Amino acid sequence: MIYLDNGATSYYKPDSVKRAVLWAMENCANPGRGGYEQSNKAAHVVLGCRDRASRLFNCDPEHVVFTSNCTHGLNIAIRSLIKPGAKVLISGFEHNAVLRPLVDIGVKLSIAATKLFNWDDTLSSFEKFLRQGVDAAVFTHVSNVFGYVLPVEEIAELCKYYNVPFVIDAAQSAGSQKISFGDLGADFIAMPGHKGLLGPQGTGLLLCKDMCEPLLFGGTGSMSAETSMPDFLPDRLEAGTLNVPGIAGLSAGLAHLLQVGTDKICSREVRQADICAEGLKELGVQVFDGEHRSGTVSFVSKMDCEELAQLLSDMGIAVRAGLHCAPIAHRSVGTFNSGTVRVSFGLDASPIQSKRLLESLNKIKSKRKIL
Amino acid sequence: MKNTWITFRSVTPAQRGETVLRRNGLSCILRRTPRWMQEKGCGYSLQIRTINTEVCIRLFRENNIEFKKVYLIRDNGSAEEMTL
Repeated sequence: MIYLDNGATSYYKPDSVKRAVLWAMENCANPGRGGYEQSNKAAHVVLGCRDRASRLFNCDPEHVVFTSNCTHGLNIAIRSLIKPGAKVLISGFEHNAVLRPLVDIGVKLSIAATKLFNWDDTLSSFEKFLRQGVDAAVFTHVSNVFGYVLPVEEIAELCKYYNVPFVIDAAQSAGSQKISFGDLGADFIAMPGHKGLLGPQGTGLLLCKDMCEPLLFGGTGSMSAETSMPDFLPDRLEAGTLNVPGIAGLSAGLAHLLQVGTDKICSREVRQADICAEGLKELGVQVFDGEHRSGTVSFVSKMDCEELAQLLSDMGIAVRAGLHCAPIAHRSVGTFNSGTVRVSFGLDASPIQSKRLLESLNKIKSKRKIL
Repeated sequence: MKNTWITFRSVTPAQRGETVLRRNGLSCILRRTPRWMQEKGCGYSLQIRTINTEVCIRLFRENNIEFKKVYLIRDNGSAEEMTL
């Protein structure tokens, strides 16, 4: 199979990740709950993962919180910062993981930046709304549909200038874009463990400052005589038993990233996305391409996007079609009715993948007389 | 044998303390905090050699590792909370 759906999850994982999961299942008990060897081993796995994440994202290990996915982290972040009736600024490229919690809380939404690949427009749009006054901002680092890399460092500076707390959704950027929690000054950055960080599904990280409200309440292995959640991190946000095998795998994924370097991974992905975008243009489909694009490319053909994705699947190529859980992004770009086919490269990005995809699309075009 | 216990509010800072001490060539044992040492229940401690108490505390402070209390355990088993 040619796997080009890394925006959903990274399918190829280093062998070290699989070995780490198995090792943890065979050797680890509950971390932070006992003084015996297996509990201590589990606790060392957990701390090791926090340490690696803190090195990759430039933050204190105790401010690395384990979640079950990026959506979980975003829910904690959003519910910590934002109360009913608040004015909240989001980008025009948000995922439902941001939109739905905000709608559920009942906020007044402002949408900044709807033009793809245009940093000047993005920044002026964000500044306009920030100047008008908002209570918080939540924005994605990279659009999951179009691969647009937003100027998060500059947006973060604007938020700080206007004294607006903010959350960054790093679902598509963690592991392939530089992220420094310390430099960005975000209140929260949420990310999945199973995409660019190469861990197993069911893992995620939330980087956070001190001010936070738990989403789950329960045992933490600390301050057990108290009836309220501990007031310190990470315990405040980690009620219940952690996913130690998952965290062990995530830790191995982080180790791989620290060794290889996110810059190298990013350039490999973007190079293949560039080749793919050019090839798609030659085939005559509408490609959403421009400066500041990640290793993800979306396109619209004359065929139904789901039908085309199914044809590719039948030819052994995995891509994702539809709205990608991001209706706002599709409305911003005008593809809400058609949806798009999304091609997203990952750690194993290689020329053979682009070649096979383009060859397959060519075959479909020849056979169907349409694309 | 006389030794010192340094208590922490949870396993995370205790482990970070353990890492820092070992990196500096100081031996320690990560243990569950005895119930009588805990005010708020469930925590972890590092058991260290009493002679190293001062340097351990200094290293924790230098590395922003928050600890709760320090107890001196005497040869006869009696304990005393140390004021720093």
